[in-house]
Amino acid sequence: MTPLHYYLIFAALLFSVGLAGALMRRNAILVLIGIELMLNAANLNFIAFWRYSPTANELVGLMFVLFSIGIAAAEAAVGLAIIISIYRHHRSTQLQHVDRLKG
Amino acid sequence: MNYMELLGALAPEAIVVLTALVALAVDLLVLRQAPQNARQVVAVSITAVGILAAIIALSVAAPSPPWMDGLLINHSTTAFLKQTLLVLALVAGILSIQSRFTQHTGEYVTLLLLSTVGMMLLVSSDNLLLMFVALELTSLPLYVLTAFNKESPSSSEASLKYFLIGSLSAACLLFGISLLYGLSGGITWTQLATTLRAGSEPIVYLALILTLIGFAFKVAAAPFHLWAPDVYQGAPTPVAAFIASGSKIASFYMFARIFMAALPGTAGSAAWSGATPGWVPLVAALAVVSMILGNVAAIAQRSVKRLLAYSAIGHAGYALLAILSNTEQGMGSLLYYVVTYAVTAMGAFAVVNVIERDVQAPNGESLTDFAGLSRRSPLLSLCLLVFVLSLAGIPPLAGFFGKFYIFIATAQSGTSQGLIWLVMLAIGTSAISLYYYLQILKQVYVVESVGQPTPVQLRPAESACIVAMACTVLILGCAPNWLINRFSPNSTEVRRAGVITKPSTTLELAAEIHPRITAPLGTATGLVQKRPQFETTTANAQ
Amino acid sequence: MEHDAVQHAVQSGSKIQDLAWLVLFLPLLGSVMAWFITRRDRVLTTVFTLGTVILSFILSVTLFAVFGAASAECTPFQFLHIGDLKVDIGLHLDALSTLMLLVVTGVASLVMIFSTSYMHDDASYSRFFCTLGLFVFSMLGIVLANNFVMMFVFWELVGVSSYLLIGFWFERPAAGDAAKKAFLSNRLGDFGFILGILMVWSAVGSVNFQEIQASLIKNPAAMGVWAGLAGLLVFMGAMGKSAQFPLHVWLPDAMEGPTPVSALIHAATMVAAGVYMLCRVFFIYTVPAGWPPALSFLGDLSAATVVAWIGGITALLAALTAVQQNDIKRILAYSTLSQLGYMVMAVGLGASTGNPSASMFHLFTHAFFKAMLFLGAGSVIHACHHEQDIWRMGGLWKKMPVTFWTFAIGTAALAGLPPFSGFYSKDEILATALEANPILCGLAVLVACLTTFYMCRLVLVAFFGTTRTESAEHAHESPRSMTIPLMFLAVPSVVAGWFPVGEFIAGHFGVRSHEGVGRVVAQEGIGPMLTMILGGIDHALFAPFNHNALAAFLGLFGVLLGGSAAWALYWNQARDPLPGLFTNLSRAMRKKFYFDEIYDSVFIPIHDTVACIMAWFDRWIIDGLGVRGIHGTIEIVGRALRLVQTGNLQTYAFLFAAGVAFLAFIALQ
Repeated sequence: MTPLHYYLIFAALLFSVGLAGALMRRNAILVLIGIELMLNAANLNFIAFWRYSPTANELVGLMFVLFSIGIAAAEAAVGLAIIISIYRHHRSTQLQHVDRLKG
Repeated sequence: MNYMELLGALAPEAIVVLTALVALAVDLLVLRQAPQNARQVVAVSITAVGILAAIIALSVAAPSPPWMDGLLINHSTTAFLKQTLLVLALVAGILSIQSRFTQHTGEYVTLLLLSTVGMMLLVSSDNLLLMFVALELTSLPLYVLTAFNKESPSSSEASLKYFLIGSLSAACLLFGISLLYGLSGGITWTQLATTLRAGSEPIVYLALILTLIGFAFKVAAAPFHLWAPDVYQGAPTPVAAFIASGSKIASFYMFARIFMAALPGTAGSAAWSGATPGWVPLVAALAVVSMILGNVAAIAQRSVKRLLAYSAIGHAGYALLAILSNTEQGMGSLLYYVVTYAVTAMGAFAVVNVIERDVQAPNGESLTDFAGLSRRSPLLSLCLLVFVLSLAGIPPLAGFFGKFYIFIATAQSGTSQGLIWLVMLAIGTSAISLYYYLQILKQVYVVESVGQPTPVQLRPAESACIVAMACTVLILGCAPNWLINRFSPNSTEVRRAGVITKPSTTLELAAEIHPRITAPLGTATGLVQKRPQFETTTANAQ
Repeated sequence: MEHDAVQHAVQSGSKIQDLAWLVLFLPLLGSVMAWFITRRDRVLTTVFTLGTVILSFILSVTLFAVFGAASAECTPFQFLHIGDLKVDIGLHLDALSTLMLLVVTGVASLVMIFSTSYMHDDASYSRFFCTLGLFVFSMLGIVLANNFVMMFVFWELVGVSSYLLIGFWFERPAAGDAAKKAFLSNRLGDFGFILGILMVWSAVGSVNFQEIQASLIKNPAAMGVWAGLAGLLVFMGAMGKSAQFPLHVWLPDAMEGPTPVSALIHAATMVAAGVYMLCRVFFIYTVPAGWPPALSFLGDLSAATVVAWIGGITALLAALTAVQQNDIKRILAYSTLSQLGYMVMAVGLGASTGNPSASMFHLFTHAFFKAMLFLGAGSVIHACHHEQDIWRMGGLWKKMPVTFWTFAIGTAALAGLPPFSGFYSKDEILATALEANPILCGLAVLVACLTTFYMCRLVLVAFFGTTRTESAEHAHESPRSMTIPLMFLAVPSVVAGWFPVGEFIAGHFGVRSHEGVGRVVAQEGIGPMLTMILGGIDHALFAPFNHNALAAFLGLFGVLLGGSAAWALYWNQARDPLPGLFTNLSRAMRKKFYFDEIYDSVFIPIHDTVACIMAWFDRWIIDGLGVRGIHGTIEIVGRALRLVQTGNLQTYAFLFAAGVAFLAFIALQ
């Protein structure tokens, strides 16, 4: 069986890629995708920890992942709705155009 | 345990959800053609009835043991906090009557109530899963509510900022939680508290930092505060008021619970000499940055809502002091502080809401719109005086005792006054804060309004709310013991519930929240290795 | 060995001392009722607010008569119980508080009577009286508090009500600014005060004065290394309220408020709160000095020494500044500063002799004559149609005889001329200083000399000489309701010094008095005291000379020097031909002393320069660099922080990441 830390390192990489995307992308939708990657990295962690835990039949990690997938979906729906409303006002989804509130 | 029992334990939340659905259905099915004002009044009335029912349900509910292996808990403190949250939600609803920011009254009220349910669950949740779900249930409706003014670009901009930074921190929080789960093998406070120790692995600190970020975002602690000024300014004012008050109470309570009850082994120390790593120094760093940044940046603000946002950041810094004191007293002081702060902030926003409706400026209100308010509405300015002086921490208002109690708790918690440097800093920054609070009062009482002063239009329900909140702030300041006793584990209610009294250490505090840990079957190993109760309970339910 | 009746009252639980609750809450009740019910009706408002304050005064007299110097606790009620911190709201009666009750309620009643005509034409008449009632309530709270927390609460209330009163005419920008300045400087002091309270509490474990005193008597080293710092921090509170250097900047500006307010708050009561508080917590200044390791270089320097020096410096600075002022209220304001410096100095010096009673004595006498001087100034300003420049008055003594004579009595008392009250209290301070610190004693004599100088100048210019303006020409005596309080205040201004108040207070601090009278009062109550006083009043008149003749003569020397200097200079400048007799006398005096050349050519220019430098220092260094500088820096930083909030989400994300890095740095350190 593949050792646990392989999964963890992969999840950490995925998280970093997502974070980098969220920090560096200028398009709101791509930032959202970056955040989704981060959430999925966490899910991967949960599954890996659950699979290797001595109490795997408690299904805790798996439950957590199911819930967090549901939440991520809701989050994406809300996010896209907000981005649409931004697009209506600014005719753009580029973040640098959205800086009316400041100071 | 079966579903009826679960429903019984969750009756108040269920009532609020039902109210939300009824309000939505009535608005969409019956009142589609009715005038906007009537729809708002009906929706808020339904809300008021539901909230009243939920408050009554909370006050009659008996304290119950933790459900489902520590999924959620109910005791007198959570009941009181939930009642406070419900009242704040109702006030936010009342403030939105006659506002023109939306045509979709039913949806507005529904989202407000759903967010309230999220906060109520957050207060009750006793493990990481429910905590995360409740946190998201709180946040998602608030993102939408922030964007509710579809006419205003600022509203959707604020929402986008709130949403993106919020999701970013939620993702960090989830990753942190996954690490905590992996490190401890469980997701309940008890499991975390018995396994996690500082200094064992560096990854513990990573988990702590990521978890901390999630909560620092929710409570708007610097440097994760950047959304707050923009959201407070851009969002419809009643929504901003709710974000500033209700969301603060729930998040701070959970913030304190998870770190004090679930992670006591990784606390560390923030003493001036002899700091040790753990979450306490991290929280101390956040507190220091928040207190300084919030209070200094507020000075240069021209919009009162932005000013209140920065002051909220400063206040978050003081509240963080209570968390890092990591004692039972700290918890008591935190709750007193956030509850009184929430009422005060709600009151201040309510006054801003009135002014904003009155001036109808395209870019929202500014400090100069308050000029000569004392001539235009003596009642409103007197209430604003109470709120602002309480925020500034002038006795005998509630804000003073909140701060005082926190300073006491913090000064006492460190060994040999090691934390007194934080208290000194806090008192210093609160002296600075007086300057910008006086700016508001100067506009209200000293500066003349431009042109002939016209009386401000106030609706009866609105003014009743504002006056009631001002009186609350005054009364809680004059008789702080009443509120403090509600949070004290020594209070009679808790004793009646059979919970252990007078816990002196954090571990005992954790035990107080989990009476089961002291039960004979709950040995440390037994908790982790126990056979899944989940399956047996579902079997029972079937 | 207490008086029988008192002991009986205390033991039998009849609790006559609970009357103190009434004394405290009556003024608040009056204000609240007046504000909510009778705001529109001036007469009823006056009846409510003034009536309750007078009732308070009568009750205070009763309490004083019953208790005298015996101490008693009123029934407390539970206010705040947090863990180890137990704060009960309770009132404490003893020599200090009963005496202070008399002063506060007595002066407040007279000032309010005075105000009924002074404020008669003001549109916000009711607001004025209600705020005044609120102020009296807060001040009584400070006086009666039996613990630090309660005192702090009322301390802040006093700050708030004085903010409201200084800014009473908020339509004047200067009044608004002055109110803000007063509030901010007070808060700066309070910052230290609350920190000091926390420090005392964490070191001793109680906030109750009696308990702290008891544990400090049991173990003087209980405060350990925190003794010095706690003492200084608590003193910061007094620095704010009693306007001590360098937080004194607000007091002269506070004269923007109505004149009765200046009389009550900025002369008689509020500013005395700092001195009163220092006496109340005197026990924390008598413990051995100690400093935390970081400040160990301070060695044996005790907090009390710092207190004494700050008091002395304030007294000198203020007296020097007063010499160059022309506004009648400002001269009085600076003289208040200077006298407060005296009192604070006396507390600091008292720590080494174990007896700060001189400062309370001076506070007691000063309250009467300074309130009278301010009310007299108010009367003058009222008569001259709100003219405040003394050079635009002149010759008023004939036009306003009552005002003039009472003002003259006040001046004599302030200057410290026997047999007026100021002489006796000032003499006690000088005697204490002579005993404890000769340098400060010399400084005090210099200040006494300056005080006489500027007060004589004020009287000579404003009341004598020719009438120099139209408004002064038409001046006439003020109405009865203004002159009666003046006459009422004139009596204690003369005789207050004859009573052995100092010894009465000294008994409270456990010092056996050298006279018989004080001990009798302290031990046997007020009745025997009266007989003693009536029998021995001639004895009391000469007490200072019997007690410490050197101090008394030093004080007299200062008075004569200052007075004659003022005479020599300002009599001529008035160029008043009328009282030729006095001109001759002044010329004779100049010849007699041969000091005129020195004054004219050397002393006065130096004096003027120093005064100018002081004014400049005050305005630009203390006010500019100190107050505005800090404020400016914070404002600039605030503006800079606005730039960080660019509004761009990517910046936010970047800062978010920076925050994560910051936390990681803290964690891994």
